[in-house]
Amino acid sequence: MSAFVPTGRVPEQIPARAGIGLRFPHHQAVIANRPRVAWFEVHSENYLGGGAPLRDLETIRRDYLLSLHGIGLSLGSVDGLDAVHLERVAALAARIEPGLVSEHLTWSVSDGDYLGDLLPLPLTEEALDVVCDNVDRFQEALRRRILVENPSSYLRYRHSTIAESEFLLAVVRRTGCGILCDISNIFVSAANHGWAARAYLDALRQAEVMEFHLAGHSVRPLSDGAALRIDDHGSPVDPAVWALFGEAVERFGARPTLIEWDSNIPPLETLIAEADRASAVLQQPQTIMADADVA
Amino acid sequence: MPTLREVQRAVARGIFSADGDEALAHIAEDAIAAAERFAIHRNNAAVTLIEALRLVYPVVDKVVGGEFFEGAARAFIARHPPRTACLNDYGAEFAGFLATFPPAAALAYLPDVARLEWAVHGSLNAPDDAALEPAGLAMLSESARGRVRFVPHPAVRLLTVRCPADAIWRAVRDGDDAALAAIALNVAPISLLVERRREGIAMRRLTPGEAHVTALLFSGAALSDVASQHDGATLVSLIAEHLAYGRFAGFTNASSE
Repeated sequence: MSAFVPTGRVPEQIPARAGIGLRFPHHQAVIANRPRVAWFEVHSENYLGGGAPLRDLETIRRDYLLSLHGIGLSLGSVDGLDAVHLERVAALAARIEPGLVSEHLTWSVSDGDYLGDLLPLPLTEEALDVVCDNVDRFQEALRRRILVENPSSYLRYRHSTIAESEFLLAVVRRTGCGILCDISNIFVSAANHGWAARAYLDALRQAEVMEFHLAGHSVRPLSDGAALRIDDHGSPVDPAVWALFGEAVERFGARPTLIEWDSNIPPLETLIAEADRASAVLQQPQTIMADADVA
Repeated sequence: MPTLREVQRAVARGIFSADGDEALAHIAEDAIAAAERFAIHRNNAAVTLIEALRLVYPVVDKVVGGEFFEGAARAFIARHPPRTACLNDYGAEFAGFLATFPPAAALAYLPDVARLEWAVHGSLNAPDDAALEPAGLAMLSESARGRVRFVPHPAVRLLTVRCPADAIWRAVRDGDDAALAAIALNVAPISLLVERRREGIAMRRLTPGEAHVTALLFSGAALSDVASQHDGATLVSLIAEHLAYGRFAGFTNASSE
């Protein structure tokens, strides 16, 4: 039986400090040692069953504020949201009372098949209508504002007609959702498509950025000497991404900021050190910006 | 301009099959070929789904080795793409698939090991429903007790295997090669009860009689019907054991059927 006692009906606000993406290997250390971390974010899909994962999360929730980050709702699916999946996420949110709930500006389900990756959308008026309908439905089901994250992308569609930042702003305008600004994704996508990362940040100034994400990425060499940057969350944050983060904090102010690390997961101490660094930038963004040049 | 549905169907086909041409036709090309760009997503998807299966089937993975597992997983994913984004629920058909996967034909015990792992996985991730308190039964009259139909606890699984999958599971988990080598594969079918206890997963072999009674009880047969088919003393002690380990979540005893 659950011993979780809700602390209040209004979701508590996650502070404008750095938190850590919590994955299974660190559950027990967090429960046993209660490390000094401002907040944790978890992938909603990891807790939609029951048993030990959910029990751990409820234990952790007694000591920490949590953010629920979805990776499987598929806001960009032309088929609409999976009603069962949506219901399970809503039930989890009701149980955990997260400070923030977020999803991606991507799709991963087609005709009921889950593709196992966050795929980019054709940036068209049709796709914009689909995303807005799905975000509306998500927000209605949870009775709260959600955040939508800009994706890391490796490809563009021939028939796209809208710039990604404009597309995201249109979703915000039409649905009232907030933006989860993933700094690493902006950096990776800008490099992969020849965009200007700063211009993307400037465009987002018209809307409310409510959270930042930071993660490590890798560089995959291709056959002809070119390369793609891969957002694999498997290493420390790149110096150029730290610098871009400093610029983002200058533009948008301090916001809850997450360190994400999903492959080759390091010891908790390494994640805490990365979070401490992010917290320092949130307080003094200028210090980091001189460190590296940003396109 | 292609519709969003056309694009998503083409991309989905390209992710799960070797034929991505239809998807590539929609992807812009520059200094980097569309195929190289699309390959990033194909690879991400494959890694995610293969690793999800590896988490559910760690013993099968160890038995066959990482490379063989990856090949089997790729073939499985192409035939049974996930129907849910909750990957904890993905892979139910893997045991059945392995039974028909030609490269695994020599490993007759493998599908049973996979079935056992699916049961273990299901038990570990089942909801924490409260166990039925025996006191609730004690208050019933004898006739009311006969009408009792138990509801099994969601973390309990009952399965029959044709090889000692439990012994293989334990030996592989513990890395005990000597124990693994000593397992005789040709045995009579074994009924296993898998459950979640405080200290972890527990497995108990049931005699054919115990397995029959337990299957009846778990399927919601009325207690009087089960009693008419089985020896009373065995039934009482088995129910006492099931209650002691919290294998029932509740019961119904409607007076008319």
